[in-house]
Amino acid sequence: MIKLKVFKELYNYRELLKTNIKKEIRGKYKGSWLGVIWTFLNPLLMLAVYAIVFPYILRVDVENYTIFMIVALIPWNFFTTAIQTGTGSVVANGNILKKVYFPREIIPISITTSQLINFLITCIIVTIFIIVSGVGFSIHLLLFPILVLIQYMLTLGLTFILSALTVFIRDVSHFISVILMLGFYATPIVYLGSMLPEKFQIFLKLNPMAQLVEAYRAILYYHKFPDIKMMTIWGIGSFIILIIGYLIFKKLEKSFVEEL
Amino acid sequence: MKKDVAIKVAHVSKDFKLYYDKANTLKEKILFFSKKNRSKNDIHHVLKDINLEIKKGESVALIGTNGSGKSTLLKLMTKIIYPTSGKITTNGKLTSLLELGAGFHDDFTGRENIYFNASIFGLTRKEIDEKIDEIIKFSELEEFIDNPVRTYSSGMYMRLAFSVAINVQAEILLIDEILAVGDQHFQEKCFKKLKDLKKSGKTIVIVSHSMEQVKQFCDRAVWLYKGQIKMDGKASDVLEEYLKICG
Repeated sequence: MIKLKVFKELYNYRELLKTNIKKEIRGKYKGSWLGVIWTFLNPLLMLAVYAIVFPYILRVDVENYTIFMIVALIPWNFFTTAIQTGTGSVVANGNILKKVYFPREIIPISITTSQLINFLITCIIVTIFIIVSGVGFSIHLLLFPILVLIQYMLTLGLTFILSALTVFIRDVSHFISVILMLGFYATPIVYLGSMLPEKFQIFLKLNPMAQLVEAYRAILYYHKFPDIKMMTIWGIGSFIILIIGYLIFKKLEKSFVEEL
Repeated sequence: MKKDVAIKVAHVSKDFKLYYDKANTLKEKILFFSKKNRSKNDIHHVLKDINLEIKKGESVALIGTNGSGKSTLLKLMTKIIYPTSGKITTNGKLTSLLELGAGFHDDFTGRENIYFNASIFGLTRKEIDEKIDEIIKFSELEEFIDNPVRTYSSGMYMRLAFSVAINVQAEILLIDEILAVGDQHFQEKCFKKLKDLKKSGKTIVIVSHSMEQVKQFCDRAVWLYKGQIKMDGKASDVLEEYLKICG
């Protein structure tokens, strides 16, 4: 019953959600010469930098290291950018929250969704890399949408919690930048998970992004099925995080305006 | 809630914490944690146990001196803030004209801003498409509508914002001292539009210091004094009493 009301209100405000997402994607490059082209150019250049730098500083003995890294790096980037911008999003929109009522959850949802769209756009570039390098695709690609869905639920759930907390404790955003930096190294993005010593393996199991990154790599790079058991656990886990995050956000949103 | 009730305010109280130096960071929160017990004196009771029922189609004025809690009550009705205790239920689409131009972006054109602003009020694209000509016509900004709003004068800005807010077809309108928009001509036009809306059965709640407007426009007035309802009744009666004391 309550759930239905949630969707109904979001549906009523769908135009606001749409314009917010559009503003988030287009607004970033507004005023620049190349405009929307940057949406493609930016990840392309970033990938080029990583592809040039990492093979030389990290000696990981795998074939096609660039692809090995990219298929993990791009999902990771979606995660970090969404968390980072999402965390400060409610505070950043303080002015408008004070002026008018609209479902507050639209803010974190539109941030996460615009990052999802950016991620999918970047995937076009990843596709080109995969084809050009000769790695190619296999039937396992069909699992890709499921992985994206799990990641989206996880990211949105965390964004709900963090954006609401930041209103009351502004330090959260500084703390999160450090955590995300640590996360980059605690996730097997530029290295192989199996390179970690036995005693650290448990951290990879507990880190949902590590599991997701390994799964992306399994289907896109190794052309095999990901660890189905782990994916089921984290699929359910992400859904629970999403629900809990939403409930925390709804609980805290009532005092947003007085704290902003 | 009964069907003919538009807004129901039941036992609503609202407290604001008075911060002398707001503890914002975790460090400050921990350091000043013990202060929490002391801060009981620092709570300002803005509204105390308000009970109010506004019927559909009524036009009600909230009157009272500064700090009596009128605007807080209006903000509670819009759900911008939430009551400390008690419950407010509204029945029907609600628009507030508390802060005009929410979501306006200076770099975008007047037309684009109509879309932004109206979407914040919960309109869909289709609904805005249907309304847009009416909104532009009402604002009398036809020749400037495709210019960025940063080039607008403050009067033009308010005219555009007001035109959107008043044309979104809400069943309940909440207005805070809004009839001071634009020049004489535009004010009269707004007033006429509000009267039309009233005639068509919309519920309207106004906070106003202009007794003239209240007298002309509202059937009912609620007099708030220090966070409590001092008098509630026919506008002319309440105004008479009010002016006796405050005039």
